[in-house]
Amino acid sequence: MLGYIVRRVLATIPVMGVVALFVFSLLYLAPGDPAAIIAGDQASPEQIALIRASLGLDRPFLVRFGEWAWRIAHGDLGTSIFTNLPVGHMIAQRIEPTLSLMLLTLVVSLLIAVPLGVLAAARQGSLVDRGVMLFAVLGFSTPVFVIGYVLAYVFALRLDWFPVQGYVPLAGGFWPFLRALILPAATLGGIYIALIARITRASMLEVLSQDYIRTARAKGLGRGAVLFVHALKNAAVPIVTVVGLGVALLIGGAVVTESVFAIPGLGRLTVDAILRRDYPVIQGVVLLFSFAYVVINLLVDLLYTVFDPRIRY
Amino acid sequence: MSARLLGDAGEVPAEALAELLSPPRRRGAVRGFIHRHPGIAAGGALVAVMIAIAVLAPVLGTVDPTALAPARRLRPPSAMYWFGTDMLGRDVYSRVIYGARVSLVVGFAVAVLASLLGTAIGLAGGFLRWLDALLMRVMDGLMSIPSILLAIALMALTRGSVRNVVIAITIAEVPRVARLVRGVVLGLRELPYVEAAVAAGTRSPMIILRHILPNTLAPLSVQATYICASAMITEAILSFIGAGTPPIIPSWGNIMAEGRALWQVKPYLVFFPAAFLSVTVLAVNLLGDGLRDALDPRLARKL
Amino acid sequence: MQRRDLLKAAAGAGILAAPRLAGAAGARVLRFVPQANFANLDPVWGTQYVVRNASLLVWDTLYGLDSGLVPRPQMCEGHERSDDGLSWDFRLRAGLRFHDGEPVRARDVVASLNRWMARDAMGQVLKARLDALEAVDDVRFRFRLRAPFPKLLLALAKPMPNLAAIMPERVAATDPFKQIGDYIGSGPMVFRRDEWVPGSRVVFARFDGYVPRSEPSDWLAGGKRMLVDRVEWQIIPDPGTAAAALQNGEIDWWETPIPDLVPLLRQSPGVRVDIADPLGNVGLLRFNHLYPPFNDVRARQAVAMVMNQADEMHAVVGSDDALWRPMPSVFTPGTPLYTEAGGEILKGPRDYTAAKARLAASGYNGEKVVMLVATDLAITKGQSDVTADILTRLGMNVDYVATDWGTVGARRAKQDPPAKGGWNIFHTWLAGLDCALPATNIALRTNGPKAWFGWPSSEEIQGLITRWYDAPDARVEHDVAAALNRAALDFLPYVPTGFFLGYQAWRADLTGIVKAPFPVFWGVGRG
Repeated sequence: MLGYIVRRVLATIPVMGVVALFVFSLLYLAPGDPAAIIAGDQASPEQIALIRASLGLDRPFLVRFGEWAWRIAHGDLGTSIFTNLPVGHMIAQRIEPTLSLMLLTLVVSLLIAVPLGVLAAARQGSLVDRGVMLFAVLGFSTPVFVIGYVLAYVFALRLDWFPVQGYVPLAGGFWPFLRALILPAATLGGIYIALIARITRASMLEVLSQDYIRTARAKGLGRGAVLFVHALKNAAVPIVTVVGLGVALLIGGAVVTESVFAIPGLGRLTVDAILRRDYPVIQGVVLLFSFAYVVINLLVDLLYTVFDPRIRY
Repeated sequence: MSARLLGDAGEVPAEALAELLSPPRRRGAVRGFIHRHPGIAAGGALVAVMIAIAVLAPVLGTVDPTALAPARRLRPPSAMYWFGTDMLGRDVYSRVIYGARVSLVVGFAVAVLASLLGTAIGLAGGFLRWLDALLMRVMDGLMSIPSILLAIALMALTRGSVRNVVIAITIAEVPRVARLVRGVVLGLRELPYVEAAVAAGTRSPMIILRHILPNTLAPLSVQATYICASAMITEAILSFIGAGTPPIIPSWGNIMAEGRALWQVKPYLVFFPAAFLSVTVLAVNLLGDGLRDALDPRLARKL
Repeated sequence: MQRRDLLKAAAGAGILAAPRLAGAAGARVLRFVPQANFANLDPVWGTQYVVRNASLLVWDTLYGLDSGLVPRPQMCEGHERSDDGLSWDFRLRAGLRFHDGEPVRARDVVASLNRWMARDAMGQVLKARLDALEAVDDVRFRFRLRAPFPKLLLALAKPMPNLAAIMPERVAATDPFKQIGDYIGSGPMVFRRDEWVPGSRVVFARFDGYVPRSEPSDWLAGGKRMLVDRVEWQIIPDPGTAAAALQNGEIDWWETPIPDLVPLLRQSPGVRVDIADPLGNVGLLRFNHLYPPFNDVRARQAVAMVMNQADEMHAVVGSDDALWRPMPSVFTPGTPLYTEAGGEILKGPRDYTAAKARLAASGYNGEKVVMLVATDLAITKGQSDVTADILTRLGMNVDYVATDWGTVGARRAKQDPPAKGGWNIFHTWLAGLDCALPATNIALRTNGPKAWFGWPSSEEIQGLITRWYDAPDARVEHDVAAALNRAALDFLPYVPTGFFLGYQAWRADLTGIVKAPFPVFWGVGRG
């Protein structure tokens, strides 16, 4: 078990190395010139050349990658070309909104999707089942921002239940915090609910056809107990896997959702940085998201042992 | 889509696919097909309609989708302008109809390219053990960057064009195909008839052609439809963020991106392209689900 | 493990945030949505308008431009000029303090102006004529000049970037080509660096040590009295979202609502809408003067002959005709130097036949015309779409390079041939205030390789700009302006595509919002 954990953790190192090299070379090749953007509309070519030199953008690839990797290894993500602030600081400032949004979406999605999936599986072929399946396909077919605008129009502008934009930190009170996050979480949750409901249903159907479920029923256990205790526990492995893999969807969706609802999170930081070609920030954010994604899926792998006692490493 | 994320489209005999794609032999076969595979029938029909719209765009009552007319800007939908006009006075109906071309081209091109590239990498990994570790580390690295983030980052490299969007999304999708194909190859290598072929001295290319490729075709075709759907959504998201195809090209993503500022006052600017995009993606997803069910009877009962 | 740590970090950040929120609750806060994201705050290093606007809150200037474009004393009490115009003596008014509580001294002024002169265009002309700039004592300083510089007060007062902002000597010692790292200012508001979330939120808190002048406020002249305790900038890039937030009362003031949303805002109870800046903006089409076809004046003239400012402006401002004006001029309509002398080429019916003949005479033979289009900025994109249309009708082979502003910014700086990564045309716009004077209109400079992107070269225009610098009075200035307009619309360093106004919108309970080329926060309060 411990050996497995160590091996899995070690295996993430080359993966992160590939990510690092990829991210760095990607942006090294980028055509946009940050110096020109910084200098603004009024600057002369001479001024731009001076700024470029002062930013160290005129040195060779390997020198810059070496320096960069060395600093990353020491936890220094560099300094933003635009704001002159440490990238680590900029990320720290924006991690709370993104983390809150994602966690809320995750919790709400699981609370909605798992019962829906179980219900659909229990009544296979019923109207409920068909409804859930339709919703699941629709969730995948509608762009996130369209859902966002529809929700904002109905629930914020017309009904005035929630604010149309912005973020209230948890320190500003739990209800204001939640109120500002409900619409974004509902927006972001659509695709995730679709995904989890679908896999829950599929995995439950697989389990429900097994002999031991019939045995449990025969022993006189209640329908609810069978479904939610016996069957769901045995169906958990694929569900947890998809929850982990689906984090990629959440990250991609957060980029769009944060821009629709003007949430000052990492997603907007990413888009802003890319449009402005703020190299250190792009590198830091992509690395961080990828790292989080790898770690979450590592945790998911380790969770298998909890859900499925048959799996031993 | 779930299958896509699981990287498990099942291992399906190619005969099922062949059977599925062969022309109906007798009368009533069509009705029987629709009855047995409603998803494929509905999805396929919708996709066919969209392809027809894209191909026939010039004769569907459209005008030049890029023709500016600042004097008649932001007209609501009417008999003259079926879907209204946008902020530069362009006809939204024409733009949406022509937009089908961009979305379908992006969707299909990414599906085909990602399948080809992924298959090549997957085969290489599955057969050349010395290359496998390196290829799979690179694939794992790419896969650990959330695909939309990866596509956005790639788009920041170049100027927006349909070609570059296709390349960026393809790179983001390739690792999953490569993983899938490699998995199939590793599974097949253990099968008696492949082992026998190896033992008999058959050269690798022949084994690939004769045994491996046909067996990957079924899971790959399912995967490819999901990639196609996902690529169309990603294209729209890239345009929405401002990192997609150049706005002069009427893609559904661009029309929505341009209309988004006015979603309160001119909702039709977003509604029509959104509806077309959703229906098309829905159709492709239905097709994918149907294919998977048809090709994998084991899963068919459940999903 | 990882997740728990992250949660802890998030909770920690929340607890830290608690006291300042509690403090802000009772304060009078003005929530403002600026025109753009704001990436650096250095009034001398940064040249974007949004940086200037923030800087005007944080740093004070020696003189301030009033709404008649006349420089008035601000930090200075006044000045004395020698009869030969070669020596200027200034005296600081009493009570000036920096945000760290230190008094503003003459040597802070000298250091600040030295850094500014290295960057600013007018500053550079001044520097070339400067013999010495010296602090006489703590409150007096003196310019000694080699040649007269009648526009000195204007240079010190102008809000056009780069701003002659007064900062402490130690900060002003920063290399002019590096950003300052210390935002201790001299203006009415303190920049709260600890609350700054770049790309999302900028906070300014009232500086209690600021002593406003006693005169009524008039743009940058007069007393800058802050009626609120905090000004919070919220950056909302999506106009649809910003409009909704204003309607919902989540923000107080939106600097640049897009024209198409103005009817909606007008109907919303509790929202007021008006013109933002009486001097508006000037759209422009910029040529690359280094390469064919636009290295030939006849090709440039051919484009000007078919330029339809009405179409260009409709693409920029939408359907509202009250928002734009034709301008056969390089000067901003409504400002003192405005003239239409020599503007015939942009007036009257557009004659494609004559324009095609002119283009043919230039030797144009169908080569690609590379047009850089920043599609993320509606104003540049609108103009570009219309121009691409007229160029095509003129028979030009237009290569429409759709990209973002960042890439346009990089590529337009390249002097390579258009086919090898260079360019022929791009669109942008300048503030009307900048085009009110020959010195601040960067597109008008024609000093070849040192000029703004496009590198036009015309000694006649340069000579006329110098004559404006030396003009002793308004009458001479007007004569120079007429000659300059004729020369510029004949040589065409760029083609003006029209004059357009923008809106601002605010919650009805705000009082004291004025029309100006920049948001004027002083005097704004809640009714």
